[in-house]
Amino acid sequence: MNPVALYFRLIRVAMQARLQYRADFFTGIIGVIVLNIVNVGLISILLSRFRHLNGWTLWEMVFLYCLWILGHSLFSLFFWHIRTLEDFLVQGTFDQFLIRPASPFILFLGREVQYLGIADATFGIAGLSLAFTNLDLQWGGLQWLLFGASILAGTLIETTLSLLIACIAFWTGRSRRAHSLFMHINMMVQNYPVDMFGYVFRAIVTGLIPVAFMNYYPALMLLGKLDPQSPWGWLGYMSPVVALGLVLITSAIWHLALQHYSSSGG
Amino acid sequence: MKLFWAFTRQAFYNTAVFRFEFWLRLISVYLLMYTIYWVWTTLYTQTPEAFGLSLQQMVTYGILGMALEIFLDVGPEWYVATQVRTGAIDTDLMKPLDFHVHMLARSAGEMMFSLGILALPSFVIGYFLFDLRLPEDLTTGLLFGISLVFSFFVFFHIGFLLGVLSVITLDIRSIAWAYYSMVSFFSGQIVPLWLFPDFLRKISEWLPFQAVYYIPMSIYIKRVIGSTALQAVGIQVFWAIVLALFARWAWTRVHTRLTVQGG
Repeated sequence: MNPVALYFRLIRVAMQARLQYRADFFTGIIGVIVLNIVNVGLISILLSRFRHLNGWTLWEMVFLYCLWILGHSLFSLFFWHIRTLEDFLVQGTFDQFLIRPASPFILFLGREVQYLGIADATFGIAGLSLAFTNLDLQWGGLQWLLFGASILAGTLIETTLSLLIACIAFWTGRSRRAHSLFMHINMMVQNYPVDMFGYVFRAIVTGLIPVAFMNYYPALMLLGKLDPQSPWGWLGYMSPVVALGLVLITSAIWHLALQHYSSSGG
Repeated sequence: MKLFWAFTRQAFYNTAVFRFEFWLRLISVYLLMYTIYWVWTTLYTQTPEAFGLSLQQMVTYGILGMALEIFLDVGPEWYVATQVRTGAIDTDLMKPLDFHVHMLARSAGEMMFSLGILALPSFVIGYFLFDLRLPEDLTTGLLFGISLVFSFFVFFHIGFLLGVLSVITLDIRSIAWAYYSMVSFFSGQIVPLWLFPDFLRKISEWLPFQAVYYIPMSIYIKRVIGSTALQAVGIQVFWAIVLALFARWAWTRVHTRLTVQGG
């Protein structure tokens, strides 16, 4: 069976398992939507009083937030459980992926789906449509292409970074702390425009942990806040490149980690 | 009273086990403070002295909101939920101590622990790196201290009631997200209530959540002073009593229909 078909079959099984718990499904969806409404609500209260945040108006902020959420929703749906890799390694249950005649990577990825991504996607689409109308955006083919590519790039960036952090556990046995730190940085980029912060933070989320490419740089370009001809204009188009770069790095590290792996036994 | 302290000490030891969590928590606190610091600094650069408050007062309010959460949020609901799910709740019920009082003692112990181990270093970070000011005078400081005691009491019951709910629903994880984001919103933890549009402010004033963050923090930065401040503490006392009575009533109701899982 080819890896892609195998992955989709695994995902279908995981989905059926999830849908066993209907009540949990609905409260979860409502919970995530309320959470997002509160986040955007706080931003809009601030902006109704101060009009803009470092030059970002309400709907531009909504656009920024929802662009992040859309990329994140796919991550959340299919790759959320990457952070649980640590448990498999510590308990020795990771061996189950190695002894089957298929790629351990596919077997691990196909293990679970997290339906909460559906709520994120719903919220993201609704918010982006509202922002799009209110900002009266006029996009050509290039912008739509960049928009779609940026969402997929956002998913890949979050997935690969998450996987890189999870790989730490191959060497140290633990990665949860690093994950929660990553989540904090991610939330800062999700909620606020990066240019509001100091230089060190901007450098970190651009070069070291490039989550600013999930929403900030493409949003600059899509909202016409960045002149493509300016010296830094090219950054607006870089998200897919950054994502591909991360995919290459992560796949190299993953193979290195697998070679390093020695079971904790049990 | 001796029993009360025994539980407090036990909770203290349980929390002390997770030593490595310490540095992670501090870095996270730093990032949260860093964010709120830049939000207010940016907004105030655009509109200096907005709403009759200085940037320093506003930053202090914001930083405080992050620092207080560290020791106020002890999460008694997670303890109750875990005990209910695993069935271990029967050992809690067998103890010769009222469950509500037991939970209060346990949470107070955890709160004391976080206050000493995590909150104080966070205050130091806030003070030296982010312009967190000390209370202007002794009276303000004292009133803030008294107000905090009731903040804890109210916040404990907000959590405890969620724990009571877990007896019925068995799983509260997804409910807790929505619940706590509402609490954070209506308590003025991040954005103070005086910036809210009128109808939202009216709603928040009718809810108990303002007693958690908004009241002590407004007292601290002297946004409310004198008799208004005393009145605000009065509101906290009111909610503390109401919630305590409600929690006792709800627990007795739920206690009778409690099913213990497992053997």
